[in-house]
Amino acid sequence: MLSPVSEEPLLLAELKPGRPHQFDWKSSCETWSVAFSPDGSWFAWSQGHCIVKLIPWPLEEQFIPKGFEAKSRSSKNDTKGRGSPKEKTLDCGQIVWGLAFSPWPSPPSRKLWARHHPQVPDISCLILATGLNDGQIKIWEVQTGLLLLNLSGHQDVVRDLSFTPSGSLILVSASRDKTLRIWDLNKHGKQIQVLSGHLQWVYCCSISPDCSMLCSAAGEKSVFLWSMRSYTLIRKLEGHQSSVVSCDFSPDSALLVTASYDTNVIMWDPYTGERLRFLHHTQLDPPMDDSDVHISSLRSVCFSPEGLYLATVADDRLLRIWALELKTPIAFAPMTNGLCCTFFPHGGVIATGTRDGHVQFWTAPRVLSSLKHLCRKALRSFLTTYQVLALPIPKKMKEFLTYRTF
Amino acid sequence: MSVKSIPLDGHEFIIKRRHALTSGTIKAMLSGPDRFAESEINEVNFRDIPSHVLSKVRMYFTYEVHYTNSSMKIPGFPTAPEIVGGWLMAANFLDCYTR
Repeated sequence: MLSPVSEEPLLLAELKPGRPHQFDWKSSCETWSVAFSPDGSWFAWSQGHCIVKLIPWPLEEQFIPKGFEAKSRSSKNDTKGRGSPKEKTLDCGQIVWGLAFSPWPSPPSRKLWARHHPQVPDISCLILATGLNDGQIKIWEVQTGLLLLNLSGHQDVVRDLSFTPSGSLILVSASRDKTLRIWDLNKHGKQIQVLSGHLQWVYCCSISPDCSMLCSAAGEKSVFLWSMRSYTLIRKLEGHQSSVVSCDFSPDSALLVTASYDTNVIMWDPYTGERLRFLHHTQLDPPMDDSDVHISSLRSVCFSPEGLYLATVADDRLLRIWALELKTPIAFAPMTNGLCCTFFPHGGVIATGTRDGHVQFWTAPRVLSSLKHLCRKALRSFLTTYQVLALPIPKKMKEFLTYRTF
Repeated sequence: MSVKSIPLDGHEFIIKRRHALTSGTIKAMLSGPDRFAESEINEVNFRDIPSHVLSKVRMYFTYEVHYTNSSMKIPGFPTAPEIVGGWLMAANFLDCYTR
């Protein structure tokens, strides 16, 4: 199914905040979140000290260390001047915990909608939402770096944010105040729903690519699945033994992965609630002494864009790459104080953020999907597990399509 | 060296042998006792696969051979949701010996 992967992730580039650290607040220099815009043209990075850096992608050549091929699509001449986007610095005034780009360019359906609702300001640009320490959410226009909106409602840290992939400009936020909130950016950021039910801090939220489901995970070990149509709870997923801190859907919405301080990543079928896989993280080498013990608590998990790999960041100082069908990682890279990770939307690169405000870019496995997997991904983008099970096809094919076999 | 593939509706395709061997099934079919060792073209019949599906499968073979063992960035392979069911059946049939 996969072309053989023999390379460990290689470090392509590392970015550090340029300024000297003027403050001694240990808690304010972390990179809690990193994100790529869905079209791959921008990278955002909360570099600590209340600053978010927006960098046009691909990176300019000066960031690529000598010895690596420049991975840029355009030549050096093209990127200098001539109206090419320049990096932006957003001063948010307080610690930035969550980041999310809107999908852009807007899909044709949204443009049609905007034409019929002229009284509503048409936010027809790429926007970045930032979740802040006191519960505020600031909405920025990426091209200009201008602040567009300030959303108030949450009473505590906004830890994670997620836009609906359809481009409808509905934003979901997850907070330490134990709620998730739904905001409509077409209506000046009106709060349209509060989702209550979690008993402890909500660490993360993720909307399925088909926009039907919202996943949220919290400190009380539970994972909740909500309907994005009715904003009601569909089911609770039990299985983790400690706080669940990261979640992600597969690109075809058929799988959900959640990561916890309990050292496990669980892979679920979100339609049935079944647990399909436990990916257990253990230290590579046995510890020499007490100072060497790092519990493999998970910090972040994310799917690769073609849906066949996962990247995980854990406290045991490793970035791991997993192939979905295997029970152990296929590659490791050393990474200290990692907090977050995300794949570049067109594949090939993984970005990670650390506790000291740095970001790194790593090579991701080069993937040639089998024709079977390409078909599965296309079908599962619009078929639920139950719809697949109802098809008049052989049992083995159903098992393949529902990711019970690979 | 080529393989002539004959789908359900008789519309014949010529596929490079090297490409066709992407499929474990075809590989097995071509190494059986019926192989014409001397001739340039071998024939394979696919009685259950229509030509529009086989045409896409041939495109996939080309894509797979082109990007395997090369260091080029791999672009996506375009899929169309409305006819992908047929490809899945064909891909399943053609892949089934590769694992």
